[in-house]
Amino acid sequence: MNQEELNNKLLAIKDKLIEIEQKADNRIFLLCEADNAYAANKFLFEDVPLRFVIATGIDSDDCFEVLYHYSYDETGCMITLKAFIRDRENPAIESIAPFLPGAEWIEREIHDILGIDFINHPDMRRLILADDWPEGVYPLRKELNGTMVTGWTGQTSSRPTAESPARRTIPLSKPVVAVGPFHPLQEEMEFFQLTVDGEVVTDIDMRISYNHRGIEKISESLQFDQVPFLVSRVCGICSASHPLAYVQAMEELAGVKPPERALYVRTIINELERIHSHILWAGLAGHFIGYDTVFMWAWKYREPVLDLLEEISGNRNQYGNVKVGGCREDVPDELKPKILKELDKIEKKMNMLVKAVIDDPVLHARLKGIGVLSRENAIKYAVTGPTARASGVAIDVRRDDPYAAYGDLDWNVITQPEGDVFAKVVVRLLEVLESIKIVREAVKKLPGGPITMEVKEIPPGEAVGHAEAPRGETFHYVRSDGGNRPVRHKVRAPSYVNVPSFKASCIGGRIADVTITLAAVDPCYSCTERLAVVDGHDKVIHDYEALLRLSRDKTARIKKEIGAPELKMEDL
Amino acid sequence: MSWKIWSLKKSPWVFHVNTGACNNCDIEIVNLLTPKFDVERFGIKLVGSPRHADALLVTGVATAQAAPRLREVYRQTPKPCVVFCIGACACGKGIFTTGYHVVGPVDKIIREIDPNAIIAYVPGCPPKPEAMISGVVKALSAL
Amino acid sequence: MSVPLNILFWIIVVPGTVVLGLVACWIVRKVSALVQWRVGPPLCQPLYDIMKLMGKEILVPQDAQRTVFMAAPLVGLTGVLLLSIMLWRITVTQTSFVGDIIVAIYLMVLPSLALILGSSASASPHAAVGTSREMKLVMGYELSLVLAFIVVIIKMGRLVGAGLVEPGLQLSLAEIAKQTPVFSISGMLAFLVALLCVQAKLGFVPFDMAEAETELGSGILMEYSGALLAVWKVMQAVMLVALPLFLVVVFLGGFGTTGWPLVWGIGKYVLIVVLLILIKNTNPRLRIDQAMKFFWFYCGITLVAAIILATIGNYYGIGWL
Repeated sequence: MNQEELNNKLLAIKDKLIEIEQKADNRIFLLCEADNAYAANKFLFEDVPLRFVIATGIDSDDCFEVLYHYSYDETGCMITLKAFIRDRENPAIESIAPFLPGAEWIEREIHDILGIDFINHPDMRRLILADDWPEGVYPLRKELNGTMVTGWTGQTSSRPTAESPARRTIPLSKPVVAVGPFHPLQEEMEFFQLTVDGEVVTDIDMRISYNHRGIEKISESLQFDQVPFLVSRVCGICSASHPLAYVQAMEELAGVKPPERALYVRTIINELERIHSHILWAGLAGHFIGYDTVFMWAWKYREPVLDLLEEISGNRNQYGNVKVGGCREDVPDELKPKILKELDKIEKKMNMLVKAVIDDPVLHARLKGIGVLSRENAIKYAVTGPTARASGVAIDVRRDDPYAAYGDLDWNVITQPEGDVFAKVVVRLLEVLESIKIVREAVKKLPGGPITMEVKEIPPGEAVGHAEAPRGETFHYVRSDGGNRPVRHKVRAPSYVNVPSFKASCIGGRIADVTITLAAVDPCYSCTERLAVVDGHDKVIHDYEALLRLSRDKTARIKKEIGAPELKMEDL
Repeated sequence: MSWKIWSLKKSPWVFHVNTGACNNCDIEIVNLLTPKFDVERFGIKLVGSPRHADALLVTGVATAQAAPRLREVYRQTPKPCVVFCIGACACGKGIFTTGYHVVGPVDKIIREIDPNAIIAYVPGCPPKPEAMISGVVKALSAL
Repeated sequence: MSVPLNILFWIIVVPGTVVLGLVACWIVRKVSALVQWRVGPPLCQPLYDIMKLMGKEILVPQDAQRTVFMAAPLVGLTGVLLLSIMLWRITVTQTSFVGDIIVAIYLMVLPSLALILGSSASASPHAAVGTSREMKLVMGYELSLVLAFIVVIIKMGRLVGAGLVEPGLQLSLAEIAKQTPVFSISGMLAFLVALLCVQAKLGFVPFDMAEAETELGSGILMEYSGALLAVWKVMQAVMLVALPLFLVVVFLGGFGTTGWPLVWGIGKYVLIVVLLILIKNTNPRLRIDQAMKFFWFYCGITLVAAIILATIGNYYGIGWL
């Protein structure tokens, strides 16, 4: 469907909407009342169909708003359904989780931070606030501005009580995989909770809160040009994509287009980040299945990329390079030959690794058919990035809604149909090669000119921006009232939608495959370290090390059965 | 200097604690093991249990959910031990100072249970691996 | 042996074994580092580790069985030290008592038993994981190891029959040390099985499911700290001396004390350590049921074949069977 057909299709629910705002060719806002939101969402997700991105809760002066963001990837159109909840005393709206599992988490989060009730939500436990955060205190409500939550200094006990709002009661007869947030000593069943039946995983629950720093609220207290520094620290390894998505939203809001050279510099930095992020992942994945030398090797070959980034931006990891209107640091022309030379070296090594991996029979036997995320589930859980592309869902923000210089460069979107861990490995490794191509072309075609322009005013309004991080789509929504600071800034990292898809890819699988299945989604690495298996009486059957061992043992067993030699690292 | 401290310097085993970080510092810590930096040369080993640790490498701002765990980990580390606050977040909350879910910084949490704790600070965002090694070496020499 | 030398022996045997063990530990770590393109630790690193651990406080988990928890490492260390003393005594004095091989086998079980006891006493669900695995592993390899030694004893029977060895003395390690069973088919089979059993006993890859010695885990020793952990580490270091030495004495013709036999002896010991490191570095880990299958089935069959061959060799007086 092209854009015009899409616009016509949206008219089908006109009677449910208050208004249709067309902010730009590919930016549409649909306004409706809260009562009609359920039907409108169902139409958008199932009938059009659109890809669900995230939902945003906003505390406006006279009402609450819940914004449901969707993407139509074929034309790169972002459609936002804005639902108004007029009742401020008891805000409530019907949950869309029953038909859209990908929205489960965000509805729980909005309930945590704004107190909006989601009717018919299957599981309304606390998600991101600490276990003993006081009830009834909703951090993102405007009434709390200028006050700190008094009298609360954090938990005194390390064990959540039975009444803790996040605990799920699991019948004691069933064995449970438990996770401690840190290494082995914590016996509490938080973070990851897998229920197992013998060797097979039957259910999974997750508790997140450990990394919650309240960034969206902090953003409201910063000025627009300070925010990129904040959001690049949402996640250290997607640290170029978050500020880029935010800055793109701001540039749409302000109606400015940065100079060409800036777009190319942004492309170069983002692709270099993708390269070192995927190589990091390759190392970790190797470690999980027992190839420790791959781990050391991969991280060794990451270093030149980090050095390049340091030469451009001054920091190996937090580049601080994007601002509204352009870039802060330029790629000096003297550096260009060095970049090309390093890329050649890395490309050679990566080619060898790709060939070795794709041909290795042990890896085939170990990773094929493991942790399968079907195409249907990939869509229902709204996953993005390599996780989606490995399940045959060909979405990539760089191609669907080109930003920076991606529209001018020649590169391919890598997809695989199987949806298993092997497919995810292949997608990421091949993407590194594509990224090398992109950087090479961008460096050669780097236009002259300034790298920044002055942006004096941000008019009132709202805008969305997204970018393709190594893990998937980062999405930012910004609303401004004409002042100096964001009224609301919604940040969505790709792992937020990718990690819950664990529910679909892990259930039915075996315990030995748990670590690699989670790693294949590529969450921030601190998420993957904490797994354990307990039986129903709080006794740990397997802890993280044991799960790791199971994973690597399985590899060894497969190797024996196949009689294949080990992956030859010396040739690499 | 006592032989205890001397041998501690020769064989500092570290345990990594993430109390709410963006992972940059954590990745740089893991980087220390890799061939370019190879901290095993100095006897530094990353151990899997705080009971085996001489130094805690703490990253992150100490969020509300993570702070009690940090206290537990500190209690379970046999003394003498050094707490390293790695990164701007651990040293002083960094850019997250006004966050509602942040109860740190790390030294405040540690001193609540042990006012005499030995704490060293390695600022940076993230600190380069060389800075971390230098910080560890300096702290150990000052013991 | 003259009196002063005797005294010297008793003074240096225990510290000497410990030092040798620490050096062997270092060799293992250094080789692993080199394989991973790293430099690795300095020579004295294992010694620094022990000294550092001695200086740390000992934390005992609240729910742990205190006595067992604290006694287990000492039991393990004592067992393996006694084994070393016995073996060194035999090589130095060339004499031993009848049945000492049986005593040696018993002493060899002590370290594994101590690990199991210590970790079960830890009251930690995570250590419990390692305990159950260690127990299963011990059940797997102990029998194979004993059978491998029995193959050697059977072969000694031939010599008794031929009148070369006093009856009864085939159970004496000194006599066993004079033979080199590895140069026969059954002996070679038994040696290979015994080597893999030693690999498992040392907790090396591919049999390190109970305690992962990489930077990410500590399994059965998770709750130990301070001086107790130091004792465990010393025990593991001494095992690196005692077990290969045991193999040298039983299979490879013993360890001489002067001149060429001494050099050969050192060479044999180094050969075994190198084999252990090689196996360690070229294999990923096995799963526990895989290891069990390996020991009970594959090793069992091999040993049965070896026993049959040895018995036939005895009956017909053929040495190389």
